[in-house]
Amino acid sequence: MEDKVFSIIEITRIIKRCLEESRELNNIWLKGELSNVTYHSSGHIYCTLKDKDAVISSVFFKYANKKLNFKLEEGMSIFVYGRINVFEKRGGYQFIITEAILEGIGELQRRIEYLKKKLLNQGLFDDSYKKDIPFLPRRIGIVTSPTGAAFRDILKVGIRRFPNIEIILAPVKVQGEGADSSIARGIEELNNPQWDIDVIIAGRGGGSFEDLMAFNEEIVVRAFFDSRVPIVSAVGHQIDHPLSDDVADYAASTPSAAAEIVIPEKEQLQNSIDILIRRSYHVILMRIKEIKARVEGILERRIFQNPMDIIYNKELLLADIEHRLVLNMKEKIILSRNSLSMILDIKILIRNIIMEKAHRLSIVKSGIESMSPENVMRRGYSLAISESGGIIKSVTDLKRDDILNLFLFEGSANCTVNSTKKGEKFGKKETSEE
Amino acid sequence: MEKKKQAKSKLSFEQSLNELEDIARKLEDGSIGLEESIAEFEKGVKLAKFCHNKLEEAERKIEIIQKGNDKIVKKKIRVKEENGEIEDDEEIQGSLL
Repeated sequence: MEDKVFSIIEITRIIKRCLEESRELNNIWLKGELSNVTYHSSGHIYCTLKDKDAVISSVFFKYANKKLNFKLEEGMSIFVYGRINVFEKRGGYQFIITEAILEGIGELQRRIEYLKKKLLNQGLFDDSYKKDIPFLPRRIGIVTSPTGAAFRDILKVGIRRFPNIEIILAPVKVQGEGADSSIARGIEELNNPQWDIDVIIAGRGGGSFEDLMAFNEEIVVRAFFDSRVPIVSAVGHQIDHPLSDDVADYAASTPSAAAEIVIPEKEQLQNSIDILIRRSYHVILMRIKEIKARVEGILERRIFQNPMDIIYNKELLLADIEHRLVLNMKEKIILSRNSLSMILDIKILIRNIIMEKAHRLSIVKSGIESMSPENVMRRGYSLAISESGGIIKSVTDLKRDDILNLFLFEGSANCTVNSTKKGEKFGKKETSEE
Repeated sequence: MEKKKQAKSKLSFEQSLNELEDIARKLEDGSIGLEESIAEFEKGVKLAKFCHNKLEEAERKIEIIQKGNDKIVKKKIRVKEENGEIEDDEEIQGSLL
């Protein structure tokens, strides 16, 4: 180890690492007096910080000093926030300033900055927690001093904008000992559902930095954050920016501005309602006028001018149909009459047919007459009648000794049957009749 | 809070005003028939009346919360019409929360 020889850069890097990685030398506040302040053309500020026992060279880079709201001057006593840095080329160390605060109020500001960082990390300022300010609050809660300018300003603006406004004041102490807890209690009280408040304005009028300090206290900031009712921060003048502005749902620059944000102008609202209705009414009137003109245009047409035309037309149509109907009927009657006369002709025809039939009948009759039994007998046939008077048609009706009458042409003979022969045919063998 | 408010009136002032605006627009672009237009217009008049009523609903009340006998009560304060000046601040001063 003893033989180890370091190069300058090697040892400088070790020193750099030691200093820059030390927790004790990073993100710390220093208090000192300014000297050798140089505003460089690059925008960086170089200076030396000293107290009666020591000095440290410092640099305030351009990106960081942009936010600075006062000019650094020789002999100023200030607080600076930052870290130690080692510059290898010059073999020296310096303090890199990221924030600077004047002493006096500096002590308070440092506390505020500290609290701000803490609450920021806890998410109290997140936009996601911000509630909307209601558009037309029925009842407004105010947390401020009853005797302060803020309350008077809010009332003045409020009554002017909305004459029938409802306001509930939670009277609190806004500066001095115990102001912070008084304000926090006031906010908490107005969150009590019994007051039925739609929006809270908490704040005070302008004052010194110390006067406004209560609105930078953690207890107040947390009361703003915990408010269920949307809350507006209204502290001091435009330039003042307490932590309550960061945590509130809305940060108004002054109490009057808060009243203007929260309380809508009644007259303007009424006007906009009336304008909307007037617009609608106008449109409806125009529409009706348009439709009226259309209706009139239609009414001007002939059919509406001479409405009887409809009836006349129908009458004409009816007459025409009637006429055609009569014509049709006449035609029908003539046709029917013709048919009827044809029927008369048929009668004659039938009569002719009948006459012809009668004629033919007489012919048939004379034929039939020639078939009479007398004429048959004349040709040689005879008719056998039994004793009982029936015509004997078959040999089976007869037996030996039966008596029968035989009718012949010009007379009859009474006969007795000697014998019968069945099956013997006339012309082939003699009958045994006699 | 939100729920409570909705229970008090179905439609908020802002919703009513928005609807009224919609109606005016709908009537103006002429996309709806006459009967519907007249129905919408009637609805608009009702909404307007509702809005006007809503604006008149509250009576002016400026009250202060006072602590007395361990109880918190409300007390009306008189305020001058012209300048919002409070007329009896002596009593108020003694009652900070």
